[in-house]
Amino acid sequence: MDFTITEDQATLTQGVRDYLAGVHTPELLRALDASDSRRSDAVWQGLADMGLPGLLVPEAQGGLGLSLLDAVLIAAELGRAGVAEPIADTALVAAPLLAKAGGQEAVLEAIASGEVKVALQHPVNPWVADLDGASHILSAKDGALLLAERSSGAELLDSVDPLRRLYAPVAAKGVTVGSADALLDHAALIAAAQLVGLADAMLEQATDYAKNRSQFGQPIGSFQAVKHHLATAAVKIAFARPVIERAAVALQDGAASAPVHVSHAKLAAADAAWAMSETAIQTHGAMGYTYEVDLHFWMKRAWALSGAWGDRAFHLARIDAAVIGGALPIGPGHSFV
Amino acid sequence: MDLAYTTEQQAFRAEVRAWMEANAPKAPLVTLEREEGYHQHVEWERKLASGNWGMVTWPEAYGGRGLDLIQWLIFEEEYYRAGAPLRVNQNGIFLLGPTVMEYGTDEQKARFLTPMAKGEMIWAQAWSEPGAGSDMAAITSKAIRDGDHYVISGQKTWSSRASFADWGFGLFRTDPDSKRHKGLSFILFDLNAPGVTRRPIRQLHGDPGFAELFFDDVRVPVANRIAGEGEGWTVAMATAGFERGLMLRSPARFQAAAERLVKLFRACEAKAAPAAREQVMQAWMDAQAYAYNTYAVASKIMGGGQIGAEASLNKIFWSELDRAAHRTAMQLLGASAELRHLDGGALNAWLEGYIFSLSGPIYAGSNEIQRNIIAERLLGLPR
Ligand SMILES: Cc1cc2nc3c(=O)[nH]c(=O)nc-3n(C[C@H](O)[C@H](O)[C@H](O)COP(=O)(O)OP(=O)(O)OC[C@H]3O[C@@H](n4cnc5c(N)ncnc54)[C@H](O)[C@@H]3O)c2cc1C
Repeated sequence: MDFTITEDQATLTQGVRDYLAGVHTPELLRALDASDSRRSDAVWQGLADMGLPGLLVPEAQGGLGLSLLDAVLIAAELGRAGVAEPIADTALVAAPLLAKAGGQEAVLEAIASGEVKVALQHPVNPWVADLDGASHILSAKDGALLLAERSSGAELLDSVDPLRRLYAPVAAKGVTVGSADALLDHAALIAAAQLVGLADAMLEQATDYAKNRSQFGQPIGSFQAVKHHLATAAVKIAFARPVIERAAVALQDGAASAPVHVSHAKLAAADAAWAMSETAIQTHGAMGYTYEVDLHFWMKRAWALSGAWGDRAFHLARIDAAVIGGALPIGPGHSFV
Repeated sequence: MDLAYTTEQQAFRAEVRAWMEANAPKAPLVTLEREEGYHQHVEWERKLASGNWGMVTWPEAYGGRGLDLIQWLIFEEEYYRAGAPLRVNQNGIFLLGPTVMEYGTDEQKARFLTPMAKGEMIWAQAWSEPGAGSDMAAITSKAIRDGDHYVISGQKTWSSRASFADWGFGLFRTDPDSKRHKGLSFILFDLNAPGVTRRPIRQLHGDPGFAELFFDDVRVPVANRIAGEGEGWTVAMATAGFERGLMLRSPARFQAAAERLVKLFRACEAKAAPAAREQVMQAWMDAQAYAYNTYAVASKIMGGGQIGAEASLNKIFWSELDRAAHRTAMQLLGASAELRHLDGGALNAWLEGYIFSLSGPIYAGSNEIQRNIIAERLLGLPR
């Protein structure tokens, strides 16, 4: 029993954080927002050069062969930086699923090299993100997971998140590479991790703002009401993180209880991010209500990911069945078993 | 990260479970906030000690077992799983013990730690004064040096278990001209010493759980001072850190409450308000989250890390989840919630629990104070 991340994991996470802080700046987000595609080949190439697409691809296929625990740590950094490129879907969700399926060496190699983007569709989501730019598509159908090359074009929907690209689903087809449930759990977990990263970033933005904005002759961050709002949000964020890590380990190990832990992670992270977004805008005052501060990019992503890959009702229903329904042993002595 | 228990850890769990099953009281004890119950709880404390379970993380030399924090968590899980009684000596073992371990002399360790682990010395914490609650640096009680004794005068209040306990530890102004955090010393005193008067205070539930203490020229040997004269604030802050940090509230306590809440919900599901269902699940989720976080902190400390101002995150989280879980139970019980004795029998544990949970956000540094600490020390906001 050891509930710490390793030094390697801390170093990798910090490396990704530093890299993204340098290149994936708010200015870049604004430039993307002003572009037609909202996507940038240069950004994707930068992420690929950093090796992000291959993190969870087995070493034999040119990747790093890391685990889902590494994946959630990296997903949080993608959230923190507000990355909208389909890197999480491709690298952190599709890659481990395809690696587990076996026989998908070619696709995995192409993922690791950054040539392939994979779109994900599942009945729990009415829309599909980044369908147009994807070369491949993983689809849930009748409980199975199918992999195909993407053929037809699709109609773009308008998301509140200016950098999110949503499309109506297309007909599911392809070769079976796993189960629909596996896709749902992996994607929900990665969404949860991104939500915590988004929340962290919003906390940082709001805290910085509170240190710098003065009213009544002093920084607003010296007012207790403001302090307490931010401290309350910080508590929620801090206690979402270990839930996500615990879920990542359960899912990696294929534990029977993994879906419950994933649902717990998604609920905790969405709660924290949603609460943080409201706290952040309140801290910013009217400034927060403008398109001019960076905050809204993070806030809108948080709204989007909160509803994606199983909304509140969906995940509560799974907790309900397990906890109230009695499928899961609960109480002292059942922290992990 | 490896979330599986080792074979040794599993064997340890089995050992604790077997002992608890054989020894934990089968029926609940009378509340330790009453004299009769207090003595029952002291009995239990001694029984625990007879099995060497008084304080498992302490060195064997002081009556402990020298176990690590993960083993402590396993112990706590089995303790609450068996429904064992609250620890009447928690001020001693969880607060003063670690303080003496860190700041005490060898002589003090030998004198105080072993009896503590054996349940032979039950401790009260005497920090608060009528005019010094959240603002603890406003302490006015004095300890004036007279040869190799201090002469203590003044008043302390809201001191848990001081109505019945054997000894107390507190902060006193050893420099009468000093102000605020300076000139305070951390002193241990015998609650039965001449000049100490205890006035029990009835708590919200009606029992005399804590007391006001009056000191009328109480003579205390200088050897009862922990650390240097005037260093009391630093030592007290370390003690407060233990209090908010890991040990005061082990997650098993809340996991047990969440489990009982789920059972209560199942029993009255038909008449439960729609929102209750979600609140019950939230109680389970929060208790689990608290457990994961505690294991993470324990792992971190075992790896050489430390817990600093993060302890304030913990304190807010457990106190608020506890209040919410008990509030949910009260709402589920509906018209029965107000009955002190459910079914005419044992005390209504939910009512008692709810009343007690209301104090969690107040004691050990109120949650407002914890939020200030988080904002200033973790987030770096200006004072
Ligand atoms: C069950 C229980 C057991 C206790 N046991 C002990 C014990 O064993 N030993 C002991 O020494 N003490 C004990 N106490 C006392 C406890 O430590 C104090 O109650 C606590 O420190 C708060 O002080 P106070 O009650 O004077 O409240 P006050 O300090 O008067 O505070 C009242 C309210 O004002 C708020 N407030 C005060 N200052 C600030 C500020 N700067 N910013 C924002 N809000 C503020 C508080 O948060 C609170 O909501 C116990 C209390 C309880 C309820």
